[in-house]
Amino acid sequence: MLLYSILVPIISIIAIVWFLFRYLNEKNSLLTVILWVLFWIIVSLFAIFPDFSNAFAKLFGITRGLDFIIIIVFAVLVYTIFKLYTKIDKLEDDVNKIVKEVALNNEISLDDEEE
Amino acid sequence: MAFEVNEEDKKSTYVILPAYNEATRIQPVIEEIAEKGYKMVIVNDGSSDNTLEVVRQSQRKYPKNIFIYSHIINRGVGVAMQTGFDAVLKYNPKYIVNMDSDGQHSVDDLDNVLEPLVTGRAQAVIGVRPLKDMPLSRNIANAIMNLLTRIFYKVDVSDSQTGFRAITLDALKKININARGYLISSEFIREVNDNDIPFEEVPIKTIYTPETQAKGTNVTVAFKILLQMIRHQF
Repeated sequence: MLLYSILVPIISIIAIVWFLFRYLNEKNSLLTVILWVLFWIIVSLFAIFPDFSNAFAKLFGITRGLDFIIIIVFAVLVYTIFKLYTKIDKLEDDVNKIVKEVALNNEISLDDEEE
Repeated sequence: MAFEVNEEDKKSTYVILPAYNEATRIQPVIEEIAEKGYKMVIVNDGSSDNTLEVVRQSQRKYPKNIFIYSHIINRGVGVAMQTGFDAVLKYNPKYIVNMDSDGQHSVDDLDNVLEPLVTGRAQAVIGVRPLKDMPLSRNIANAIMNLLTRIFYKVDVSDSQTGFRAITLDALKKININARGYLISSEFIREVNDNDIPFEEVPIKTIYTPETQAKGTNVTVAFKILLQMIRHQF
């Protein structure tokens, strides 16, 4: 058995447990956790049974199993970046709203100095 | 003879000045505006220098003309303008002007920019900077931005990136500004156009110094605006 076929499932188990804890602490939605758990299970299966990726690759018309894994990882990364981008964008908007509200409610007048 | 806004209209005009790290430049600008009898709303956009202190010194001299709001952190000129537009509504103005606080605009142009509003010819005005006064790099960036404003927002103007603009209260209530940074210039023009607000272009003077040249729309800013324009399409 190759080293990665032991390491990857261990990492996957840690990741799955981590996501389950995040769900229990209400930090992730159920759908997000299910998607991540599925992702890590598939990654583990690929690591334990390398031929498994070949079967999947053929299913999508890709010749090599490794190519298939690279494409999947790339797609997951792009999705994650997109998700982070929209999240940061929303946070920026929220921060702007707070900063504006604080400014509007605290006009700086000469009376402030006298206090 | 040059047009001059009467005292009554001056009293109901508010100039919005967004200020970010302008401690060395803002004082003459705001004191000149106050001397002319205009009121102003200054939005300190989380400056890391002592802009706020400088502005407060001027407020002590002209307490009836200067109103100050301050962002606790820097959020960009667009957000500062949004704060300014919201703040100015508290004073129920008739006309609202927006100009840069770094001294690149001439205070004398206030009357010229307000003229179409006061006479009722237009409800919004953009101050157009003369191309010949602009440094070449700024000229190129500006030409690109004018083209992009035409493509994305379908408005043809000769200076889409001007920071000198004026609008009536009624027109201001119709427009909706969401831009965070320099996109505000193009967005203001788009909103005016989309809401069928009659607008005019008025030539203004521009005072370029090495400091004012460092700010504003350069090629990097133009690229950022392009990305934001594309994003706004969706």
